[in-house]
Amino acid sequence: MGRFKTQHNGYSLAFSPFVEGRVAVTTSQNFGIIGNGVQYVLEQRGGPGAPLVEVARFDAADGLYDCCWSEENESVLVSASGDGSVKVWDVAAPPQANPLRSLEEHTHEVYAVHWNQVRKDCFLSASWDDTVKLWSLAGPPASLRTFAEHSYCVYAAVWSPQHADIFATASGDCTLKVFDARTQFSTLTIPAHEYEILCCDWNKYNDCVVATGSVDKTVKLWDIRSPRRELACIAGHQYAVRRVRCDPWNESIVYTCSYDMTVAMWDYKTQSMGGTVGGGIAAPLRRWGHHSEFAVGLDASVLAEGVVGSCGWDEQVAVWHRDTDPAMM
Amino acid sequence: MSSSAARRVAQLNAHLTDAPVDQIQRFPTAARKSPDDIVVVSALRTPITRAKKGGLKDTPADDLVATLLKATVDRTGLDVNDVGDVVVGSVLGNSSQRANECRIAMFLAGFPQEVPVRTVNRQCSSGLQACADVAAAIKAGYYDVGIAAGVETMTSNPMKWEGGMNPRVASSSDAQSCLIPMGVTSENVAERWEITREQQDTLAARSHARAAAAQRDGRFDSQIVPVRTQWRDPKTGEVSRIVVDKDDGIREGTTTTTLAKLPAVFKKGGSTTPGNASQVSDGAGCVVLAKRSYALAKGLPIMGRFVSFAAVGVDPKVMGIGPAVAIPVAIEKAGLRSVADVDLFELNEAFASQATYCATKLGLDVEKVNVNGGAIALGHPLGATGARCVATLMHEMQRRGARNGVVSMCIGSGMGAAGVFELEA
Repeated sequence: MGRFKTQHNGYSLAFSPFVEGRVAVTTSQNFGIIGNGVQYVLEQRGGPGAPLVEVARFDAADGLYDCCWSEENESVLVSASGDGSVKVWDVAAPPQANPLRSLEEHTHEVYAVHWNQVRKDCFLSASWDDTVKLWSLAGPPASLRTFAEHSYCVYAAVWSPQHADIFATASGDCTLKVFDARTQFSTLTIPAHEYEILCCDWNKYNDCVVATGSVDKTVKLWDIRSPRRELACIAGHQYAVRRVRCDPWNESIVYTCSYDMTVAMWDYKTQSMGGTVGGGIAAPLRRWGHHSEFAVGLDASVLAEGVVGSCGWDEQVAVWHRDTDPAMM
Repeated sequence: MSSSAARRVAQLNAHLTDAPVDQIQRFPTAARKSPDDIVVVSALRTPITRAKKGGLKDTPADDLVATLLKATVDRTGLDVNDVGDVVVGSVLGNSSQRANECRIAMFLAGFPQEVPVRTVNRQCSSGLQACADVAAAIKAGYYDVGIAAGVETMTSNPMKWEGGMNPRVASSSDAQSCLIPMGVTSENVAERWEITREQQDTLAARSHARAAAAQRDGRFDSQIVPVRTQWRDPKTGEVSRIVVDKDDGIREGTTTTTLAKLPAVFKKGGSTTPGNASQVSDGAGCVVLAKRSYALAKGLPIMGRFVSFAAVGVDPKVMGIGPAVAIPVAIEKAGLRSVADVDLFELNEAFASQATYCATKLGLDVEKVNVNGGAIALGHPLGATGARCVATLMHEMQRRGARNGVVSMCIGSGMGAAGVFELEA
């Protein structure tokens, strides 16, 4: 469907929940190790098949590692910055007005941001300072709460798509935690992997199922009502699983991307047996090899069924339908 | 590379490494802060002066310790009532008497009766061992803040063996080796690993040159607490009040040529001379260690973090190789991958032979080791040396913005100790 070459190395990609064909792409200079960051907004104007074009570009003085769209204002998005700040951008505002806000509380790299899809007025940031912070753009520019329960970097914090106050966090301390923002402490801790957990996502159809991706190269599916054992374990990558996304259109479909440079699609209900930790590699429903460096950004559109997007350290952005192969575009 | 860049690279490496998580996670912890960290609040020392000749020759050990304790409290604003323990490294002083002198020193410094004190003796590493002991006690939850010190007055307590010898020593060659004089162990190291006289004199000359430059440029000023004391002129017998505020063993202008004229003293045809061995000295050092949460709550300064410590035994015949064995253990515990990840070393120069051996064996960059000179120029008051090195290291790390540093020394009877410290970001 569309490809785009970014100036720097890709870090994340997020489809707009309002405008079909619009994606936010986060990039960082020098692989995010040192240098600037650029937050792009790209769009396919003219429907499917049209090329991706840049509609906005925001510059930051440190690497940007993740982004998400506001669920209440279609022109607002936020980025996670290496300098510990969270940048808030407005596509509709003039360049000099951006960033709208720079929320500076984290003491180390912010690695993930995620907007609440139910309440729509708040979002989370996850940081290498081991904390997760809850923010709202209404009121003063200070976090509403800090969740400091992980003992190591938090790589992801993701709201439940069905419950306004529930979110899950993935950490380098090898645990997945589930929080209810109405209570003081986490409600559940799952030692989900033996290695660092880099990502997590909620199933959009079953509010008890969470997927985790780890340095152990596997994706695991968990039923948080019976956390002692995973529902499924998919050993389908040759390196760490960097992102996992549960498909908004099919309950059992899960997308992953990895440091092994591939993007893959799985059916966890039929493929849970495939491969074992440390054993062979499971075969996915599909595997895409269009990236020539780490594939680290991944999202599935909630507005168009079967449309996925990815970005990588090869400076390539691709948006395609899962029945096609972006390598052919 | 900036520290954040280094951390990011480390983080990424961890994501790509096929190592168990307990190993991969130790590396990136380097630049991270936890409320449970053991932090260095203060690290100070007295001048180090020549035994029997220098400025502190008539100053008793309790005065040295008291001077440092008082200055430490004055400079940091530490609430003495919170101090959980004072641990003083001391090697040569009569054990029980020295423990009592340390208690006296606390009262002279104005500490309340409730604060306890003890001594620790792991020979030349005692001052560093004191730091490790206090850090361990804080970790164990015994208290939140403690003082680690070290003191030696080699003027009044020379190295000696008292009483008889256990005849069973003859049944173990290692036990026998414990009785070898230190200078002879130096000759053993030089002989076994072919460390030449020239190499040793080069290191000694560099030690003096660097120490002289550091003193001239005032680089020791921030770590030295001047000592108000009395001094008896050995010729006239006249006693005067003086302030000692400088190390007095440094000989500017020392060259390999001047050092080459000195005779070997421990072995005929040997290579260890008074010029390339550490000086016999008087002095003290004092380090305040605290839990980070305590330091933050009390608004105390934080110089850096006490990261790791290791003491390891080696063959007593070549006790000088201790640092070459202890340093890798300590840096591994710190989660560092190699000596290349360390920015500064205070590698005690007991003898130029063993210091040369250790630096060579570990592949240390000479520009990172004893950048302000070592014990050959400054002196080696045994019980104080560890704490002295910590003071010198912490202040130099702050001065040049070094990320981290290692203090290490060899230990008589065959051991090495090493501690890793990190600058507060």
